[in-house]
Amino acid sequence: MDHEETEMISRCQQGDQEALKEIFDKYHKKVYRIAYGVVRQREGALDIVQEVFIKLFHTIKNFKGRSRFYTYLYRMTMNTAIDHARKTGKQSVSSLDAEGSFEPSDSVEKGPERILLQKELEERVKRAMDKLPAEQRAALIFRDVEGLSYQEMAEAMGSSIGTVMSRLHYGRKRLQALLKDYVGLHGQGRDSSDPKKQNLPGSKKE
Amino acid sequence: MKDSCSSISKLLERYFDQEVTDKERVLVEGHLHGCPACRDALKSLEELSTFIKVPVEEAIQKEDFPWVWQKIEREIRLQKKLTWWQSLRSWIDISPLFRRKVWIPAVATVVVLLFITAQIIFKKTPSYADASVVEYVESETDNVMVYQLEKQKVTVIWVFDEPAKDQTTS
Repeated sequence: MDHEETEMISRCQQGDQEALKEIFDKYHKKVYRIAYGVVRQREGALDIVQEVFIKLFHTIKNFKGRSRFYTYLYRMTMNTAIDHARKTGKQSVSSLDAEGSFEPSDSVEKGPERILLQKELEERVKRAMDKLPAEQRAALIFRDVEGLSYQEMAEAMGSSIGTVMSRLHYGRKRLQALLKDYVGLHGQGRDSSDPKKQNLPGSKKE
Repeated sequence: MKDSCSSISKLLERYFDQEVTDKERVLVEGHLHGCPACRDALKSLEELSTFIKVPVEEAIQKEDFPWVWQKIEREIRLQKKLTWWQSLRSWIDISPLFRRKVWIPAVATVVVLLFITAQIIFKKTPSYADASVVEYVESETDNVMVYQLEKQKVTVIWVFDEPAKDQTTS
């Protein structure tokens, strides 16, 4: 944690709202990404962002600096998002026309069929994610949405690296089973025989 | 190949997450070049990641956040605002006059004083303010004064036996 951030946190702990604004400016997008990753809905995600920063203002005194600040914030965000999803999960009725569902930015170029397919896919992904246990969902979001390393995930989730890997593995396995109609569709028709033509994911990026 | 697939599959997710050592990376990439099944498994992981990640990235690009901060600010301000009762309570809490060590004995003292005063005030005592002298008789042996208390309709006969000694009968 750099000196500037330490100073900012210290001021916020003393009730300085300006310091909270600085923290908000630095982290609000990351918090929104995690929130949206969980609830997959704009209004819900924005409510979570609001709730997280208000909660942070009141509880930041409890942050002792034993872990990195962003892992502390991410954990708070994930817990808030999961609670929010739990509360609203039974109330919300997912539909293709639900407010907050994915809306392509360029609907003129994409045909209506493509938009419908994308909406359907987004809805299916949301439902599939909702079926995952909270810890597996959190692991997938921290890894695929936020790009945290295993070490950072372990810190954010308060568990070991082994547990993180296990949650990722079983989460992905379950999600693949739930989305089996969609996973592998993009692979059809591609030339898989010539490995040199493949840009393999996971390979070292230069 | 199957044995190799079995051992490589354990590394595949870590390879996808870029959490492998250089040695492990070489091993996996060497295997992938000759194994379409493992390549497909890797592509599936990528697709899954895309499903999770892309909608989030697109949503965040469209979002306007400044008004979110205004809502947060307002909410914190509202939570800080105290009701009149809370304001009074906080004043009581900090005022030295209302510290428990001070006000309990003070209240107890006032109550006791009030009790004693009430006893004194409301105790029935003869009032001689309403007395009116009816007659005063001087004699050789005794001087007698007769007076009446109007309210209680009592006649008091005061017999003066000696100048230093008084007797009263009613």
